[in-house]
Amino acid sequence: METLLQGFLQYIINSLQWGSFYALIAVGYTLVYGVLLLINFAHGDIFMVGAYIAFFISSMLITYLGGMAGGWTLVALAVPLTMLLTACVGVTLERVAYRPLRRKGAHRLYVVITALMCGLILENGNLALLGASRKKFPEMVDTIVLSIGGASITNLKLLVIFAAVAVFLFLHWIVTKTKLGMAMRAVSFDKFAVPLMGIPLNTVIVFTFILGSGFAGLAGLLFAMSYPILEPYMGALIGWKAFIAAVVGGIGDIRGAFIGGFLLAFIEIGVASVLPSSFRDLFAFSILLVILWIKPTGLFGVAKTTKI
Amino acid sequence: MLLSIENLYVKYGNIEALHGISFHVNEGEIVTLIGANGAGKSTTLNSIMRLPPPEAPRVISGDIKFRGQSILNVEPHDVVAKLNLALAPEGRRIFGNLTVMENLTLATYARKNDPDTEIKRDLDRIFDLFPRLAERKTQRSESLSGGEQQMLAVGRAIMTKCDMLLLDEPSMGLAPLLMYEMFRTLKQINQEDGLTIVVVEQNAKVALSLAHRGYVLDTGEIVASGAADELANDPEVKKAYLGG
Ligand SMILES: Nc1ncnc2c1ncn2[C@@H]1O[C@H](COP(=O)(O)OP(=O)(O)OP(=O)(O)O)[C@@H](O)[C@H]1O
Ligand SMILES: [Mg+2]
Repeated sequence: METLLQGFLQYIINSLQWGSFYALIAVGYTLVYGVLLLINFAHGDIFMVGAYIAFFISSMLITYLGGMAGGWTLVALAVPLTMLLTACVGVTLERVAYRPLRRKGAHRLYVVITALMCGLILENGNLALLGASRKKFPEMVDTIVLSIGGASITNLKLLVIFAAVAVFLFLHWIVTKTKLGMAMRAVSFDKFAVPLMGIPLNTVIVFTFILGSGFAGLAGLLFAMSYPILEPYMGALIGWKAFIAAVVGGIGDIRGAFIGGFLLAFIEIGVASVLPSSFRDLFAFSILLVILWIKPTGLFGVAKTTKI
Repeated sequence: MLLSIENLYVKYGNIEALHGISFHVNEGEIVTLIGANGAGKSTTLNSIMRLPPPEAPRVISGDIKFRGQSILNVEPHDVVAKLNLALAPEGRRIFGNLTVMENLTLATYARKNDPDTEIKRDLDRIFDLFPRLAERKTQRSESLSGGEQQMLAVGRAIMTKCDMLLLDEPSMGLAPLLMYEMFRTLKQINQEDGLTIVVVEQNAKVALSLAHRGYVLDTGEIVASGAADELANDPEVKKAYLGG
């Protein structure tokens, strides 16, 4: 009995942790889709770039401040710096790849292909610049294992879950209380009426990329702290999974990205706990397929109108 | 002269919608554009706002001048934010996924330097004008009735704090009493604040009673113009647009 409860608790904790990773990445897909109707297939690789940016920032922080500041101070510095720089990468992508196409009125198909190519460029650019060798992420804080009802949870897992909750609340505040956030929702409803409010469309789009890429950077940092091996293709699979999570939740809807992310994690880890791990993705994705089969627009999705 | 349209030709794809129209609007005036369906009234207003295609067509030749300066190269958001023009567009185009209050708030986006008290005063004025909106501040605007959505579209345009207000069929869907009341209020705003108004209306009689001057558009050309009361008594105009 005792062990069953322990196992269940452990399952919940692990699912919450992975759900948080998925959610933090999925929300970037959803925000960009809500505003541009673009599936930003480069987003998984922005997460990867975020992890590498986190690697360089953390290494630097440890070199220059390691003696003076505590581990958590370093993390507190690494978070905004990583988010900021990763946001710059996202905005650059928007500027050099998507905006020119938009200006020429290119069909959505070409923009999606461009996004896929941008992802490949980021992966291979990384490969070319840093080589194929894996990077070991430096340890900024000691891992502390806490025990709840026999299940173990590390301080890092708690941090990840806390980050996902905080990002959700922050985004909710942004889209309901700030004018730029309201403008994001307005763009998703009727793009052409937005300039009539005196709002530059491009400002809204750049803001969206800042948010989405910033959170991907945060996810990259937290992921690297939890699983400290970095390689150029680390964003591919997790990116696809987060994208699917966003679609299952209802792409364009912020709640959907979070629910979808957690749902995917609970299913995935649930399957892995009763079946051999080689069955994990097969079953997880089959279940998601059934959900989409029943509700093609995703859990929170509406056929048209409301996005974000 | 606040606005002048000079020999404006515009096209949608290969179809020419305006064949060289010219007209002007003076500061403090109410001017109406009337004409049959498809005459080019909305095209004219959308061209002035510099909306991108497909909403507005390409200008082939001619010019649009505001305060003496050509605005053909001004970005649409700057037409609102910097030149202080506003349009309540055809079909309302309110943001249905936003609440009434959020729609009105969004319209103040470019008014970053205005004190909150001034924005509050303007909001109160909209709610005085349309008490139905005041009762529905937190309601998602797509669930408003058609007439209420029209009130929101007009209110939203006013909230941008414009010097010149363009209205594309503002009475659409409004009950007659409310329509008269809205036009009375517009007239009042015009007289008190000197707000310049260009109004496109199906109901030519009401439009001409509100306006100082009018232009009659027919398939992309201006076929008559003059003081509103003269137009209202012009036998040709009467026959074609005022039902005899
Ligand atoms: N997006 C568009 N693409 C192609 N043609 C268009 C477009 N919008 C309008 N037109 C054409 O341009 C002409 C003028 O249209 P416009 O909407 O300006 O008329 P209107 O005077 O506002 O009519 P209504 O009273 O019906 O609103 C019409 O012949 C119309 O078919
Ligand atoms: Mg029209």
